[in-house]
Amino acid sequence: MKSETTLGSFEGALQSLKPPPVLLGHVTIGDLDDQVLTPVGSRPPLAWFVAFGVTSTAMLLGLACMAYTIATGIGVWGNNIPVAWAFDIINFVFWVGIGHAGTLISAILLLFRARWRNAISRFSEAMTIFAVLCATMFPLIHVGRPWLDFWLFPYPNQRGIWPNFRSPLIWDVFAVNTYFLVSLLFWYLGLVPDLASLRDRTVGKIRKFVYSVLCMGWRGAATHWQHFERAYLIIAGLATGLVLSVHSVVSFDFAVSLVPGWHMTIFPPYFVTGAIFAGFAMVVMALVVVRTTMHLEHLITEYHLEVMNKVLLTCSCLMGYAYLVEGFTAWYSMNPYIHHTFMQYITGTYWWAGWLTILCNILIPQLHWFRWFRRNYAGMIFIAVAVTVGMWFERFVIIVSSLHHDFMPSAWHIYKPTMIDFGILIGSFGLFFTLVLLFARVLPVIATTEMKIVLPGSQPHQKGGSRES
Amino acid sequence: MSHKRTCSILGIFDSAQLLMEAIPKIKEKATGPLQAYTPYPIHGIDKALGLRKSPIGGMVLVMGTIGAIAALGLELWTSGWDYPQMTAGKPYFSWEAFIPVTFELTVLFATFTAGLGMLMLLNRLPLFRHPMLRSKSLPLITRDKFALAVESNAKSLNVEMVTALLRGAGAKDVEVIEESPFDNRGAPRFFLTAFATIVLSCVVAGYLTYWAIKLFPVLQPMVHMLDQPRLDPQRENHFFKDGFGMRMPVLDTVRRGSIPYTVQSEDNAEVLANPMPRTKVVLQLGRQAFNNYCSVCHGILGDGSPTLTAAYSAKPASLLSQNIVEIGDGKIYHVIMMGKNAMPSYMADLSETERWAVVHYVRVLQRALNAKDEDVMK
Repeated sequence: MKSETTLGSFEGALQSLKPPPVLLGHVTIGDLDDQVLTPVGSRPPLAWFVAFGVTSTAMLLGLACMAYTIATGIGVWGNNIPVAWAFDIINFVFWVGIGHAGTLISAILLLFRARWRNAISRFSEAMTIFAVLCATMFPLIHVGRPWLDFWLFPYPNQRGIWPNFRSPLIWDVFAVNTYFLVSLLFWYLGLVPDLASLRDRTVGKIRKFVYSVLCMGWRGAATHWQHFERAYLIIAGLATGLVLSVHSVVSFDFAVSLVPGWHMTIFPPYFVTGAIFAGFAMVVMALVVVRTTMHLEHLITEYHLEVMNKVLLTCSCLMGYAYLVEGFTAWYSMNPYIHHTFMQYITGTYWWAGWLTILCNILIPQLHWFRWFRRNYAGMIFIAVAVTVGMWFERFVIIVSSLHHDFMPSAWHIYKPTMIDFGILIGSFGLFFTLVLLFARVLPVIATTEMKIVLPGSQPHQKGGSRES
Repeated sequence: MSHKRTCSILGIFDSAQLLMEAIPKIKEKATGPLQAYTPYPIHGIDKALGLRKSPIGGMVLVMGTIGAIAALGLELWTSGWDYPQMTAGKPYFSWEAFIPVTFELTVLFATFTAGLGMLMLLNRLPLFRHPMLRSKSLPLITRDKFALAVESNAKSLNVEMVTALLRGAGAKDVEVIEESPFDNRGAPRFFLTAFATIVLSCVVAGYLTYWAIKLFPVLQPMVHMLDQPRLDPQRENHFFKDGFGMRMPVLDTVRRGSIPYTVQSEDNAEVLANPMPRTKVVLQLGRQAFNNYCSVCHGILGDGSPTLTAAYSAKPASLLSQNIVEIGDGKIYHVIMMGKNAMPSYMADLSETERWAVVHYVRVLQRALNAKDEDVMK
């Protein structure tokens, strides 16, 4: 008798441990295609045009500011010695960070077999690519003479010189370029079977031709799938290492230098966590919009949003730890320069930026301990916006607050951004959201093939009992 | 119209379960190789169809290793051998600093081998002439249906037999795909076209890049950096009224560290005495100044056979001549200061120390080129 009760409660416990379903209602494989692929190529709603108008205007504003910068020189920005890195490097680090969430979702969660990732992987991968595009723009114009950017690469030249491979800046060139190319490849590979579905659905001649070429004549043969799955898994494994390395290398740009406040061993993990944190906030914001406007509530469920918000909360706690370590290092090192820099963060000219960072990144996300915030649109968007703002200002604090008080008081300088700086920042947001909007119209926002795998009944029964999904 | 050969016969199934159940039944009796077409990967189908393990892991390992070696080799060769630079006191072959780039290139090589190797080498895509792409069932397969294909090998397929077999195994529908005259010329021609396109694009891109790199940096606004409002020596400049870039010293001012020279004529200069000691350091300084400024006209030995003759009609004096050997140090100093005949003043070019050092060096030349027996070291 006793053993039976134990068994019963054990099964009950097992039931409660089971993950909630990754989609709501009964969706067949065919329905999935209809829901995800039908909006592609149909006439967008008015709201889309309004949004596109706003984002493309912002993008053009940024382009104009960039053209003015290139034609005149970077003296039109507020940067000057000792604050040689300001908005452009802040924006670079910010955008590269946004990208990291996409790779985390698509690669690391694939390896962990977190099935909820399948619904949001495509969208976040696309965001990775667009964010890295926005990021690369900034160092390229920051060099002042962007037409000579090819000097960054090691190529044999008449001058007989090579880049300095011991410099973190050249590591950055390789890391960011590799990251962009690998993300693009990973995204494209996932798209190939979906593009084949689109090819077979599309009626318009030109669109059909474009999709046919892009899917390379994919025909879904079992032999192809076998190689495809293997390759996809291997790339996910490699991309996992890559995503951890990229923001570590970005942090080396700071940590390898001797600037007080930068020269710390906490920087690589601190930057990677911050990147994932900011990226998840951006994905949450974008997913809420996509989910409601494209009526995908049953595919991107509240469960998805809740899991994402839990990741945000975890990252927020890790960031709090990193901030504490920074303070601890300043105190424990007994180095007057580091101490001074840390005090500048919280009591200096830019004290408000320091406290805004702590408020937005550490305090506000703690609201996610409450279920209501994790499940409510207004709540989660408020927190996601706060995190985005906070993470941008975190980079502002790291870069501007550390640099503006140099070792020599005679060189101290108060940095003020110009309108052009703001114009380019707005332009990068414009570019990002313009690309996101275009993507949502011409390509499937949900990886239909990957979703089909996790649909109930999509796989044959295994030997020794049914395998429910 | 001639009889067309049958490429494959497709049986369409409604679910993965039905497909998997049908595979062993067909495999037993089918006359040709089997292939399945599915909207997504099916677990266990590779075993059911008897497919070999994908070799992609080995390919990735090999190419990843090549990427690592190539990256490390490039870094060691460029930074340690071809253009050795010392950075932050590290040795030339500081492999620790080369790890990040090595890692990135390893990942780059490995992922592109996995991605493009899978698509192009193993799956032989892009391929737009495959008979399957003409199938009416393909839109169903990329959506939610599952197809099992009995393909033809050397022997032609028995259409009726295979159709019956597929229907017997539970196929809802059967489609026969016939060969098209375009199928066979697909692959080689495609690769030839692709190869030609790549070569052509490389040539065009290379040519454009060459001209872009050559021309672009000299266009406006790229040359703005060269166009700076500054005064260049020996160049015309309209910033000042007289049109010269270089300025004369302000009247009645003395340069720091210099003493005004008041001796008016060569005769009065006899009284000046050489303040410099005759040490090795001073003579070396004198030789350097002499070779830089004086030897052009007076010759490297001071014998008046200059390195620069044709440009001037004036005959420079030989410093070894008897009258110069006899005059005092002060007179030589005065000529350096004020010039003589065609010789301009070298007041601005040589410092006071250098001038006296040159005088010493001239004396050394005079003695060395008319050396007496006792000057020769025993």
